Amino acid sequence: MSLAAEAFVSQIAAAEPWPEKATLYQPLKEDQILLSDSASSLAVQTFLRMCGLPVQVSCCANAEYMSPSGKVPFIHVGNQVVSELGPIVQFIKAKGHSLSDGLDDVQRAEMKAYMELVNNMLLTAELYIQWCDDYTATEISRPRYSSPYSWPLNHILAYQKQWEVRRKMNAIGWSGKNLEQVYEDVSQCCQALSQRLGTQPYFFNKQPTELDALVFGHLFTILTTQLTNDELAEKVKSYTNLLSFCHRIEQTYFKEDKGSRSV
Amino acid sequence: MKNLLLCWGGDWDLPSVHTDSLIVLAYAKFSGAKLAVKSIDWTWRTITASVPQLHYEASTVTEPTQILNFLRKQRFNADYELTAKQGADTMAYIALLEEKLRPALLHTFWVDADNYANLTRPWFTSHSPFPLNFFVPGRQASLALSRILLTKAESPLLNITEVEGKIYSEAKECLNLLSHRLGNFHFFFGDTPTSLDAFVFGHIAPLIKAPLPSGQLQKHLNQLDNLCQFCNTILKNYFNASAEKRTDCSPTAIHDPVDANLQKLTQLVNKESNLIEKMDDNLRSSPQHRPNSTPPS
Repeated sequence: MSLAAEAFVSQIAAAEPWPEKATLYQPLKEDQILLSDSASSLAVQTFLRMCGLPVQVSCCANAEYMSPSGKVPFIHVGNQVVSELGPIVQFIKAKGHSLSDGLDDVQRAEMKAYMELVNNMLLTAELYIQWCDDYTATEISRPRYSSPYSWPLNHILAYQKQWEVRRKMNAIGWSGKNLEQVYEDVSQCCQALSQRLGTQPYFFNKQPTELDALVFGHLFTILTTQLTNDELAEKVKSYTNLLSFCHRIEQTYFKEDKGSRSV
Repeated sequence: MKNLLLCWGGDWDLPSVHTDSLIVLAYAKFSGAKLAVKSIDWTWRTITASVPQLHYEASTVTEPTQILNFLRKQRFNADYELTAKQGADTMAYIALLEEKLRPALLHTFWVDADNYANLTRPWFTSHSPFPLNFFVPGRQASLALSRILLTKAESPLLNITEVEGKIYSEAKECLNLLSHRLGNFHFFFGDTPTSLDAFVFGHIAPLIKAPLPSGQLQKHLNQLDNLCQFCNTILKNYFNASAEKRTDCSPTAIHDPVDANLQKLTQLVNKESNLIEKMDDNLRSSPQHRPNSTPPS
């Protein structure tokens, strides 16, 4: 939709309050969802909890195809469907809830820059490990991605997705990297995040922002997801303040789910 | 010490028209690295080489980030004065530039029909040898287009026109954010330039200086005075203002470390004299001297 139409629609959306039955859609949790999608979904859920907005999580095998942009997760609120963290943050801001109002211009610039760092490095590294590393792709990604479908559709969809991700990696210059370099990049990204966080409770001191939600989503998922080896999780674990950051957010916002997950 | 940097040639008052080459050139100046710069214009390297490319003794390094890391290891470090947090900020802002600004820059130069036909393609065609001049611009253009579509286009809308609005508005927002962050300072981290300054310079200098027929992003950037000033300061202080054709071993390279040190000294002296002036003002406005003093403006 064009920018003008989008602005018009969000004006209309802003008038309605947050409904009871808002739903967040993601792929099936046990069998289908992959590391990168799980991280994005957790980031959105954390953000909504930080804003105090209730949402039901609904797992569907075809969530990716229902999404307006082809990416998960997406939320269905009233008669609006919005996908990906960036547009969701803007949509919720239009409804009057925002976590970053207290920031001045320079801080907002920093927050946006760090969110891009996470997207550029962590998310791309996750995609690389899942789809460009042959071992992981064969053992984990392709079987999981295609689990709800029967033969031959499962093969076709899995290879199509792999081909798409590899094309993208090629375009941004990551196809020349090997796994060691990718782990090194993840480590540098975590180091940057760790240095920015320092000893503060959240990235912008006392109040959590969407950056905290995004970082939590990715780091927590990396720490709790079983891959072919533990090297990725080890890279994150070496930064103790990031570990305690994840712990703190889990305790604060996901108390009732504590039984099912642990770091 | 045999060292050689391959990059695209210069025009429009810039040492190079290529963003990645500019980043490396600027960083080399900031850190005092003596590099022999060779332009690949009119050679077969326009299609074979991945530019910029640094040949240092026996090794070859490509990609701006790798080259900067390599130079840092060789102890040409423009970032040694940065704190850990500033180093982290550098990484974050570079990611911001790559995600938000680069797609729009690629579009402005390589996909926008007006600019491509009237500026970019003629320039690259005239700077490539026969018969490569038929292939080089087209190849770069298709690489640019596929990069934009693969990273920014949402899958049901694989059409460049729908993506255009989104990437330009993100780029304008990115430029505004950079402008806010720079504020009134000369460089992003105080008075001496660092690798972040090199990256920002590399991205915005072609946009400011190129004579684009259709440049909505350029118009937006021209309204951000502090960024234009930033770019011109770097050009004036670190590169000769007039465009020169760079060949092997440019003689100005030898003078640069001396100039850089002189500049640092000058800045320190300026800081000292500012401090002394402030102390002077404080003394003058202190109670003993109150009847004689004029209030500071």
